[in-house]
Amino acid sequence: MSVKHASVHAKWIIGRVIGTKMYKTAKVRVTRLVLDPYLLKYYNKRKTYFAHDALRQCTEGDIVLLKALPEARSKHVKHELAEIVHKVGRVVDPLTGMSVEGTQFVEPPTDLPLILGEDQTLSEKLQELNISTAPSGADSPPAQNPT
Amino acid sequence: MPMKGRFPIRRTLEYLQKGDIVFKNRVKIMTVNYNTHGELSEGARKFVFFNIPQIQYKNQWVQVMMFKNMTPSPFLKFYLDDGEQVLVDVEGKDHKHISDHVRKILGKTEEVLQAEAQAKMQESNPANFGPRKYCLRECICEVDGQVPCPGTTALPKEMTGKYRTKMAAAQE
Repeated sequence: MSVKHASVHAKWIIGRVIGTKMYKTAKVRVTRLVLDPYLLKYYNKRKTYFAHDALRQCTEGDIVLLKALPEARSKHVKHELAEIVHKVGRVVDPLTGMSVEGTQFVEPPTDLPLILGEDQTLSEKLQELNISTAPSGADSPPAQNPT
Repeated sequence: MPMKGRFPIRRTLEYLQKGDIVFKNRVKIMTVNYNTHGELSEGARKFVFFNIPQIQYKNQWVQVMMFKNMTPSPFLKFYLDDGEQVLVDVEGKDHKHISDHVRKILGKTEEVLQAEAQAKMQESNPANFGPRKYCLRECICEVDGQVPCPGTTALPKEMTGKYRTKMAAAQE
């Protein structure tokens, strides 16, 4: 009656998608830190929310940002998908913009600009570079033996 | 008998209340991405270990989430109420430096906190009467020198409602 803005207290929440089997709905698990009153230590307390996903773009394991709907869409669905923060398997590092796998970058950072033409494969490009073991005026390979 | 754990002082109320980062009302979610190994994430790890309990204690309604080993560089991300997002790079920084920076960008300043404390004190004003939870006294009958509670001692006859109506009816 009095609350007109959102149907829930939490306007914005972040969680992990745990199920996408429902029609245009994602099941999202949200963890919040709750203080144990005796140990005085914070533990994750999980709660599941259902979010409306109109374009069906969520897969299981995504980290998503949900926004509260102005009124509940159905008995359980009170949020909608605002954005996918980290897509599972295709995480993008926000600082560099490159795709990332765990603590490694997927494409190694290239020092030389590698421009591949349409009809040129990588092996042809490598042949162009003329790398050979014959000693030449090139600089010596960096010593990479761990000491 | 000493407390259990590595730095058990983190688990004391005094330590939790000492936290000085109180977020502005706009901040709704805080996300920390850090790595479990590596020199560059050391500051972020210490921040999570020492400062996150203090932050969560002072900001009960902010959702704090930690992600480990998702990206090679550690960062903090804040999600504000109007959809704005704030990205803070913490690679190579010290945890003290990180908490100072966060406090500067998204924390309430000292003066705002003091003004809020003042406003709260004014609410517990002795001039207010009400439930014990919010006010000092519930009824004026509790004060010395005032009319005692009619529940315990009978009021003098002239002050009762039935006498007054009888007198008013007799006069007409």
